[in-house]
Amino acid sequence: MASREVVSYETPLSKAFKWFSAVFIVIYLIWTVLPIFVMFMSSFKDLLEAFNIPAVGDWAGVTVFFEFTPTFKHYHDLFVNLNFSRYILNSLIAAGGSAVISVILGSMAAYSLSRIEFKGKNDLFFWIISTRMAPVVAVMVPLFAIFRTMGLVGTLPGLILAYTTFNLPFAIWILKGFFDNVPYAIEEAQMVDGASRWQAFLAILPLVAPGIGAFVVLCILFAWNDFLFAAIIGSGGAKTLPVATRELVQPQNIQWGSIMAAGVVTTAPMMLLGLVIRRYLVTGLTMGAVKE
Amino acid sequence: MATPSQTSTQANHELFRVRQILDQVESKPVSVITEEPASLNAHPSKGYYFWLMAPAIALLAFISLYPFFWMIYMSLHDVEITKTTWNNFANFKNLVTDGRYLNGWLLLFQYSVMCLFLQIAIGVFLAVAINGSRFEKVLVTTMLMPMMMAPIVAGLVWYFLYNGTFGWYHWLLQSVGILGPKSILASSSTAMLGIVIVDVWQWTPLITLITLAGLKRVPQDQLEANMVDGASPLRNFVSVTLPNLYPVLLIAIMLRFMDNFRFIDSALVLTGGGPGNSTKILPIYLFEVSFKFFKLGRGAAIALTLLVVTIILGMLLVKVFDRQQPKKG
Repeated sequence: MASREVVSYETPLSKAFKWFSAVFIVIYLIWTVLPIFVMFMSSFKDLLEAFNIPAVGDWAGVTVFFEFTPTFKHYHDLFVNLNFSRYILNSLIAAGGSAVISVILGSMAAYSLSRIEFKGKNDLFFWIISTRMAPVVAVMVPLFAIFRTMGLVGTLPGLILAYTTFNLPFAIWILKGFFDNVPYAIEEAQMVDGASRWQAFLAILPLVAPGIGAFVVLCILFAWNDFLFAAIIGSGGAKTLPVATRELVQPQNIQWGSIMAAGVVTTAPMMLLGLVIRRYLVTGLTMGAVKE
Repeated sequence: MATPSQTSTQANHELFRVRQILDQVESKPVSVITEEPASLNAHPSKGYYFWLMAPAIALLAFISLYPFFWMIYMSLHDVEITKTTWNNFANFKNLVTDGRYLNGWLLLFQYSVMCLFLQIAIGVFLAVAINGSRFEKVLVTTMLMPMMMAPIVAGLVWYFLYNGTFGWYHWLLQSVGILGPKSILASSSTAMLGIVIVDVWQWTPLITLITLAGLKRVPQDQLEANMVDGASPLRNFVSVTLPNLYPVLLIAIMLRFMDNFRFIDSALVLTGGGPGNSTKILPIYLFEVSFKFFKLGRGAAIALTLLVVTIILGMLLVKVFDRQQPKKG
């Protein structure tokens, strides 16, 4: 850093670039935050106030956005009349269940894949990752048919299984990278000291624990935010937050206040979790291809 | 996906071994030495490891391989709730003449290319502008927010913002004079742009993050040396920074491309494929055929073609990953 400043010099062009990029960043930030801000504010507004916008071209009228008396009635509606606590629970069980299953089975598989070589390993690996990349709608057609015959449609176990189709390959693929970084010598030392193979595996788990923790969170995030699986496979008995939110849109009557409140309820926890695992986010979202 | 190892010639075999050794040298320098006298230690047999991965593989086989074969089976049949009848490839034959299917592909590519172009342009510029700034951390954290949002919620919020009578975004576009009183989603010529904007809003930060990670890898000494030699910042960017960014950007492009195939949540809320068929990208059409009209056989045929294209894209992506691997070390 410091050394860069020594040689850096300013030309009119680079100065102009600096100004332009500063302005661009500010505009971009406003653009990116505004929808979230509007959602947040509207969830506390009475419907009439939420619909209140200035006349076209009336720039000074923007202040009407802030003219309202805060109300909690939409949140009250969600939890008292619309049964949202039930949907939150469903979301938690489905997302949490699939995350735990994926990470437990995934870390076992990732560990073995990182420790041995065999013929066709690359093919196996490609198969694993291709299941993760498959379009959700395409996967869902046969999965729906199968689950229907097994009676899993509309149940939480069915939804957990459905989420595992994308979380498990993700966990295997990412966690293998973590185990690759743990030298085999550590387990060997453990085993020389008399530990069994399984104990040796458990002994190196603490070394990869932060990574594993972060990917439990990421798996939860993917499942929590899913709509398609929940809408088709969970429809009926296992309604999750995104589906319940979507159902507030009815042809004649779009309950915007409740939708915004439901949006806040769905989004806020994930944003907090995103902050917590910020360090692993890029790795996770790029399937481990890019590391910060 | 056929196993090339089945037809392995001597040369292939040799190559595999060389690669194996190289992998070991690169990824586990410590264990290279200790693994030599393996026979002395209690090195677990392969069988143990296979058992350890068996549950995951079995589960994955059940929820991905088994459905895959089901999909092939379904695509060759008329699927109804009570019975399934062979229909002599009719599902596939119909696709060739199905205008909405072909249009779906066209729109899907159009949609993906528009999204990618905007995301890369904005995302890379932002990354370059932010990189090394005092506020880098705060800025990046703020930008992350849309990515954490459920796409369906993002779609609903934008649906609200786009609304022709009370949407703020619509008000803005109208006040600036870009748009008439008709909402962006209501006319078939602008609806596509409407869903592209939402995707750009939500996923540009990912490109910025990836580019930032790539920028940290650009050799600073090379930049400095060039500057001392009198290269302009622009010149430096084009001849040093950009080539270094190329691999990460390639990954970003392919990931986003596949995600555009994978997720249709926000588009489903915003337009549901309309008005007319102007935003009926292939996954939306597939969704309609399968779960609105419940023509599961026909849906499976469409799904199969979509899957094959995605897998080909995936193969390319894994190739890129592989080339990246040694660099990481």
